Amino acid sequence: MERKQLDAWLTAEQGGDEDAADAALAHVFAAVPKVQPRSVFVEQAVTTAWRWRAGRQRVLVLAWTAAAALVLAVVVFAYSASPLLGGSIVKAIAYLSGHTVPWLIAYASVALHGWLTLGHVGAVIAAALVTPGRVAAVVGVELFGILAFYALHRIASAERLGDAEV
Amino acid sequence: MAVQRSDAELARDARSGSEAAYRELVARYATPAVNFTYRFVHERALAEDLAQEGFLRVYQRLNTYDPERKFSSWFFQVLRNVTIDYLRVNRLPTASLDALEEEGHRAAAVDRESASPEELAGRGELASAVAAALSHIRPDYREVVTLRYQEGLTQPEIAEILGLPAGTVKTYLHRARKELAEILAAQGWGRAPAEPTAGKTV
Repeated sequence: MERKQLDAWLTAEQGGDEDAADAALAHVFAAVPKVQPRSVFVEQAVTTAWRWRAGRQRVLVLAWTAAAALVLAVVVFAYSASPLLGGSIVKAIAYLSGHTVPWLIAYASVALHGWLTLGHVGAVIAAALVTPGRVAAVVGVELFGILAFYALHRIASAERLGDAEV
Repeated sequence: MAVQRSDAELARDARSGSEAAYRELVARYATPAVNFTYRFVHERALAEDLAQEGFLRVYQRLNTYDPERKFSSWFFQVLRNVTIDYLRVNRLPTASLDALEEEGHRAAAVDRESASPEELAGRGELASAVAAALSHIRPDYREVVTLRYQEGLTQPEIAEILGLPAGTVKTYLHRARKELAEILAAQGWGRAPAEPTAGKTV
């Protein structure tokens, strides 16, 4: 029976009939015995999954408990210590902002001034160097370079493919 | 008569914490899963371990399963990833033909309770030949052949599992069948040897 199925498939394969070969090979595989898992396989898979589930639930419960305890502790501490801490925090913020903000403004002004100066110098140099003739020369050299690179690329590609055609 | 629940329903219930639903799902896919992994590792115990790992990963990711998709496609996708992860870390040596034939006979021995001696003899011989031939084709061809002919999946489903265009799957199947036919014909199966395939990929 199986031998017949195999012969039928090989014949269909030789004949080039795609659908027939596909169906025939499916018949051949249907006759091939399957590896059966051990009888404890299912139980083992379920136990493993449920053990993982229990572990995950424990971790989740622990994480939530720790987070809730932390939030509670912070709230209790803030409530009980607010009369003492409130004034100190406001003073610290005022001190820091009073000492840092003027310096920040001063540094920003200096940096802006330096940048504007550089801009002026650059404009003067550019006005001296850029003339229509020089611009035309630079553009011409660039165009020539691009064309040379393109030609080299074509030659290299053609040689790689064994067909020197530029 | 009780109506059999669909895979998607079982997956949904298992995700909600139903152990019975998960058990049913494992029972349905245990044999396909072990057979799938077996085709790549050629060792029953290892195939079972990989299938177990696959089931655990499936359970861990049930919340990512879209019930609109066919469960089997999603399941084999997860199982394939588990198998690939294993094969990447543990490169298996190429099995010899003798060893593969032995594996084929071993495969034949596992369900001998349900077949007559004549059937077993025929099946064993056929299983050896097919298993040996299957082990000699490219792994990606073997994958599509296993999913198509062993698990009975359609070409679009295989394409979805493997993340390949449907046309590529069709080509792989065509070439795999040709290569299998050549190997089996060379071993004396069939009436006449098959013609060699043009542009055979190694």
